[in-house]
Amino acid sequence: MDLSVIDWSDIWIATWETLVMTGVSLFFTILLGLPLGILLFVTAKRQLLEQGFVYTVLSFVVNVLRSVPFLILLIVMIPVTVILIGTSLGVEGAIPPLVVGTAPFFARLVENVLREVDRGVIEACQAMGIRTARIIFGALLPEALPGLIAAVTVTAITLMSYAAMSGVIGGGGLGDLAIRFGYQRFQTEVMVITVALLVVLVQIIQYSGDRLVLYFTRK
Amino acid sequence: MIRIENLHKTYRAADGREVAALADVSLEIGAGEVFGIIGRSGAGKSTLIRTLNLLERPSAGRVLIDGEDITKLDSEGLYALRRRVGMIFQHFNLLDAKTVADNIDWPLKATGHTNAAERAARVKELLALVGLSEQGHKYPSQLSGGQKQRVGIARALANRPQILLCDEATSALDPETTQSILRLLLDINRQLGLTIVLITHEMQVIRTICDRVAVIDGGRIVESGKVADVFLHPRHPVTRSMVAQSDALAAASFDPARVYMKDKLRGTLVRLTYIGDVTYQPILSRIMAGAKVQVTILQGEVSSIKDVPFGQLLLELEGGEDDIRAVFAELDRHQIHHEVLQ
Repeated sequence: MDLSVIDWSDIWIATWETLVMTGVSLFFTILLGLPLGILLFVTAKRQLLEQGFVYTVLSFVVNVLRSVPFLILLIVMIPVTVILIGTSLGVEGAIPPLVVGTAPFFARLVENVLREVDRGVIEACQAMGIRTARIIFGALLPEALPGLIAAVTVTAITLMSYAAMSGVIGGGGLGDLAIRFGYQRFQTEVMVITVALLVVLVQIIQYSGDRLVLYFTRK
Repeated sequence: MIRIENLHKTYRAADGREVAALADVSLEIGAGEVFGIIGRSGAGKSTLIRTLNLLERPSAGRVLIDGEDITKLDSEGLYALRRRVGMIFQHFNLLDAKTVADNIDWPLKATGHTNAAERAARVKELLALVGLSEQGHKYPSQLSGGQKQRVGIARALANRPQILLCDEATSALDPETTQSILRLLLDINRQLGLTIVLITHEMQVIRTICDRVAVIDGGRIVESGKVADVFLHPRHPVTRSMVAQSDALAAASFDPARVYMKDKLRGTLVRLTYIGDVTYQPILSRIMAGAKVQVTILQGEVSSIKDVPFGQLLLELEGGEDDIRAVFAELDRHQIHHEVLQ
């Protein structure tokens, strides 16, 4: 393997782009997915704001979005992305499909994490005469914090691999580099380096997430 | 203070059948009273106590607190009611992510008490009340079961409720810790004049702190009354078996043949029970001094139920029929209850 053929500035730019794509789409994924997950949880049967119809509709939409393979979603989303931000290419162009692809996934994770919170604790809050919204934000979410951080970690890693996949339709970052140089120009070295970098990034995210979970766990 | 009228609660089971958790329950609980509800698991006691703050909505019937039918309250009214009715739980249900002090502060903060200094003072006061002044900074996971329940009690008292509901509050604790929690509840009942409603499956809990008790079985109240009366003279089979489990002597008196071989008895087997001041008076000695009857004490207990002294004796009386009858008359005159067992 001849590392001299590698243009390192390309690699660093691509790494940066991957981080930006992951970070920005993670932000929007949480922004959309967290409320959606909370809504799924509280409207479910025997929960704080049981609303059978709302739950069924939300759950259906989430399932539909989750059943579309991400590669297909990338393509299907192109016209929408163009309307939203003017281009479907590059770092910006990758963000809308990334968010649409992972927000429903994250919402499901949030719903599951919230279900793990002891019902008795929520009931105790109700018995104190505390309003439902206050219970959600003052008790439910803080109690679920370690689980929510773990869910964000899993989602961030999923986003990073999806971001790499967006290279297929002209998104930026390490995936784009791997496809254009590693695959189309047979530069195995570039392929190896990008994969190695992705491995390192995933390890860092997982390690940091685990540390945060531990830090906030009081059980 | 609390009046439960013809309360019904039916569930629809998984197979579509209707199951009655509560059937026509009526009770009256006075202000400042410690009222116990005892029953086996599945008897409906948990459902019953949970209707008192509407964690469980009754299917029919009324629950009146201070004359107000709480089943008719709108959501604002319900919030207000729940702030006047504290509750503690078998598994404590503390917020693991908050410190002990923050757990106690939470019901204050979350119900609109915005003055942080006032809240901090109240939290300090409550920590002292339950004997946890040094533990405020800890997290619940660092506490023992008994300490957790103390936090639960402090939290339930934060909004100065008039009523405290205890849902199997000592069932997860060892006997010694149970006693210390019961003592604390009794102190609070006396100091703050708080009405306490508790459910339990342990007669010992009832004996230690309750003034009155209701026995629930199959969703119905099968017996109720002053604890000493129910304890010494249980009528319903369920009550008898629960009393028997907590007290060997009581068990023996329901079934004397189990303990004493019939053929060894020469005279009459009699069980005496007495409640109150007579317990500490030499009445028996006076009666026996003048009677032509031989008495053998086979088994006996002098103790107290909450703060009511009581005694129960298992006696063998030997003598003429008339003489024994004369003794019985004297016992009646002094309000000592007798029961000829064989």
